[in-house]
Amino acid sequence: MTTQDKDIAVTVEGLTRTFGEFTAVDDISFRVKRGEVFGFLGPNGAGKSTTIRMLCGLLAPTAGVATVGGIDVMRDPDSVKANIGYMSQRFSLYEDLTVSQNIDFYGGVYGLEGERLKERRAWAVRMAGLVGKENELTGALSGGWKQRLALGCAILHEPPILFLDEPTGGVDPVSRRRFWDLIYDLSNGGTTVFVTTHYMDEAEHCNTIGFIYAGRLVALGSPTELKQGLSSMTTYEVKCARPLDAVDAFQELPWVKETSIFGHAFHVTVSSDPSAVGSIRDILMNDKNEVEAIEEILPSLEDVFIHLISEEDRRKAKAA
Amino acid sequence: MNLAPIVRKEFRQISRDRRALGILVFLPGLLLVLVGYALNFDVKNLSVAVVDEDRSPESRHFVQSLTGSEYLVHKWSLDDRSGIDRLLEEGEAQVALVIPRGFAHAMIEGKSIQVQVIVDGANANTAAIAAGYVALGIQDYSSRVLAQWLERHGAHILVPIDIRPRLLFNPELKTAKYLVPGLFGLILMLSTVISTSLSVVREKELGTMEQLKTSPLKAYEIIIGKAVPYLGIALLAATLILVLGWLMFDVSVRGSLLVLYVAIFIFLLAGLGQGLVISSVAKNQQIAFFISVFSSLLPAFLLSGFVFPLSSMPMILQVIANILPTKYFLVIVRAVILKGVGIGPVWDQFLALSLFSAFAIGLSSIRLHRELSS
Amino acid sequence: MKSIKQMLIKEFLQIRRDRLMMPIILVAPIIQVILLGYAATVDVRNIGLAVCDMDNSPDSRALVTRFTNTGYFTVTGWAKEPDGVDEYLNASEAVIGIVIPRGFGRDISSGRTSTLQLIADGADANTANISLNYARQITVGYSQGLLVEQVRRLGGGRQVPQITPVTRVWYNPELRSANYMVPGVVALILMIITTTFTSASIVKEREIGTMEQLLVTPMKPSQLLLGKLLPYVLIGLVDVLLTLGVAVNWFDIPLKGSVITLFGLSGLFILTTLGLGLFVSTISHTQQQAMMTAQFFVFFPMIFLSGFTFPIENMPAAIQVITYLVPLRYFLEIIRGLFLKGVGMETLWPEALALLVFGVTILSLSVSRFQKRLA
Repeated sequence: MTTQDKDIAVTVEGLTRTFGEFTAVDDISFRVKRGEVFGFLGPNGAGKSTTIRMLCGLLAPTAGVATVGGIDVMRDPDSVKANIGYMSQRFSLYEDLTVSQNIDFYGGVYGLEGERLKERRAWAVRMAGLVGKENELTGALSGGWKQRLALGCAILHEPPILFLDEPTGGVDPVSRRRFWDLIYDLSNGGTTVFVTTHYMDEAEHCNTIGFIYAGRLVALGSPTELKQGLSSMTTYEVKCARPLDAVDAFQELPWVKETSIFGHAFHVTVSSDPSAVGSIRDILMNDKNEVEAIEEILPSLEDVFIHLISEEDRRKAKAA
Repeated sequence: MNLAPIVRKEFRQISRDRRALGILVFLPGLLLVLVGYALNFDVKNLSVAVVDEDRSPESRHFVQSLTGSEYLVHKWSLDDRSGIDRLLEEGEAQVALVIPRGFAHAMIEGKSIQVQVIVDGANANTAAIAAGYVALGIQDYSSRVLAQWLERHGAHILVPIDIRPRLLFNPELKTAKYLVPGLFGLILMLSTVISTSLSVVREKELGTMEQLKTSPLKAYEIIIGKAVPYLGIALLAATLILVLGWLMFDVSVRGSLLVLYVAIFIFLLAGLGQGLVISSVAKNQQIAFFISVFSSLLPAFLLSGFVFPLSSMPMILQVIANILPTKYFLVIVRAVILKGVGIGPVWDQFLALSLFSAFAIGLSSIRLHRELSS
Repeated sequence: MKSIKQMLIKEFLQIRRDRLMMPIILVAPIIQVILLGYAATVDVRNIGLAVCDMDNSPDSRALVTRFTNTGYFTVTGWAKEPDGVDEYLNASEAVIGIVIPRGFGRDISSGRTSTLQLIADGADANTANISLNYARQITVGYSQGLLVEQVRRLGGGRQVPQITPVTRVWYNPELRSANYMVPGVVALILMIITTTFTSASIVKEREIGTMEQLLVTPMKPSQLLLGKLLPYVLIGLVDVLLTLGVAVNWFDIPLKGSVITLFGLSGLFILTTLGLGLFVSTISHTQQQAMMTAQFFVFFPMIFLSGFTFPIENMPAAIQVITYLVPLRYFLEIIRGLFLKGVGMETLWPEALALLVFGVTILSLSVSRFQKRLA
């Protein structure tokens, strides 16, 4: 292992997985640094879960190489499993077992025993906020608690790398916030966290983001980098009387890259050009759509992704 | 009534669920073939082991005339009794016959002699039939010997009773003819009680029942809409059994088709009612399935007279059988198909069946109405 | 090993937690044996008899009494005319009809032959066959008695040739169906319990997502499977013990063979049922589907084609060949042989070998299918 490798928790090189004719993951490559929170984003069906399943040794890749904690997932999936924690949005707990029975079971499966198990059990119960409820049936807990308990069970063995597959689906905002606090704590403690999500606010919290669309990794970088990646474009937030009509009017224009509605305003992304503001104003005036304000803004991650998706669609259409 | 959307949806879901379709269509076919071809109690070609200690022309003649039928076949000849054990143990022979020394002497001198018959009783039914064949054969032979002997000695006495057996309805005594009509009960229970209860409970589990409840559909429209497809499938299955039974096993309906279908319809209503009651009790599909199997399929198999004669069961089971509809239904179905009777001789069965039906439908309406309008 | 132990602890905790599980595992088999022991009988008793006695003489009444005295027949209808007998048969109120003609008594006492009509409802072929045989035996016996009596009267105590069968029934002297059926029910329950629970419990893990969670742990799929299957092996053997107890103590069916052989071969049979359960789990997405598949595509054909109620010897040759592919067939032969005939391994080894081959084949095919589905 070289010094450089020591700082890398996950490497992915040309990873591909096909199911029959369908290519779920298409030649993706990236690296995840030790101790960072890596956000893996993309719409449903883009290949997020397939990738995570390959990294956890649940699914064999069709082509490419992936190492987790320096271990090749193809060659030695069993060692990978001992070094990772995994939790999915289904909170895989046994609802007919009590809180401590669940912890004891998963602890035992990971080979914890005696003092260590006792210590970790106490830690997990505390972390999940379930002190005093150790003997309650897991099925009777509410979503947020189940989620934290599932996380606790997944990291009882203190894995250096943690995979979270849409961990906050169906959980209320307060619990989501508490959950992310836990993730930061883990990350600060040196754990690498690989998390998939489609909540944009969660994506903003990640150190690095990989964006996957139709099986291809279409963007990789920190949230700020991704936003700045749109530097040849400028995004304006326009407040006007009838934003819906405005979007219709702008959509077809060749120099407009993207439009989207945000409440009483809309965002329009254009090729960077100082005269753009004037053109926008003119078009709206012509349409008798009264303009309140036009402001240049830093694009949100959502803007970035919508842009990336349409770029990718356009590229594909051209290829076809 | 606005049933069409629900009926259409139900049919689409059924046709999408390959396994359910298999159970509703493939299973009746499989059962029919099994029941028709494979399952029968006909006891034929029983292997007989003979120990002839007399070794006389008379004893040989006796063995020949006893085993000359399609029922008993002389397969083993043993020198002494010790070989019988092994043959019966391994199931190589079902009957053993021991003819003692002095057999010919008794026949000529006019003496009584005992012949030993040993029957493998493991399967009581086969054993009872086998023992019956052998006993009858021996009695028969004995009568003939006696008549000949009397004639030789100049006495002129005729056999006192001449038996004229007459078999009604199923003269060849084919098990299939009895079992095929009996299948109706089993298969119709499958496609009504189990399917209805499961499909209603599934809607409850998925939350789509909630969705239907908030739609302008009335409670009875939802229920009828869900029931109609299963009624249709059940009628189709019944017709299928009828046609295949006729083509493959020559089971034709001697009575009126109308009476038959009326009976089927009343029985289906009973099944639907039962299925709906179960769906209003069961919390999930698993429980619905268990209750359905235990309250419909099992009794339809065990306590209906489908295979096992009710008259031989303990009182308590006969009482339970009388509470359930399948028994009445099978008596009607068999009477109409095999005996060609009309409603007349089986009116009481019709009454019992209708009462159960009315009770099940009534109870289910009350329960579901309460549930759906809350 | 530790992982397997954890799985076992977890399985048993879950089984104990489920309120329905204990009754289903421990009470249902006992009820099933009792119910099936009584219900699954093809004994023919209490045969309904419709009588049309047009003679109404001491002799005709004596004949009817002979019928009822055997205990097999109960007179359920008296008809004035021969047609009346048919009506009782039509309404299924009688299985056998007997028509005694006018002049019956006069004819038989004066050495002439009288014709007796026996009518049977052939609809239920088996019952009809057995009932008609009984009726003929009774009548022929009566007839022969008359004949012998007449000869004696004529010849003053002269001997006549007569053959009387002395019938002995081996293995099951009282000819009780239960002796044959109950051991079969023991086998059936063992199959149903182990197959159903194995498939349902594996599918359940998949349904709630814990299967995936287990697979990312260092536990090997083989350990996972062992941990999931072993509890049901144990439950299966406990159920054998329970149902055996009912058979021996409630139904008074003596177990003539060795208990150890029975348990050993039950273990062999469980290999097959676990394999089937596992296979069903690999083709089912929900517990619902698993149960339905097991019930209708495994149990139904097995029950019919194993010789459980319908003798295999009576099936057409082509179907008899198929029955060799039904594992339950071999186990039924084993359990009935042990119960009724008291045979041992020296007779049962071919069946035991067949079970071993089936068990190993089915189980390993299912395990490989299970593992393939995981990848």
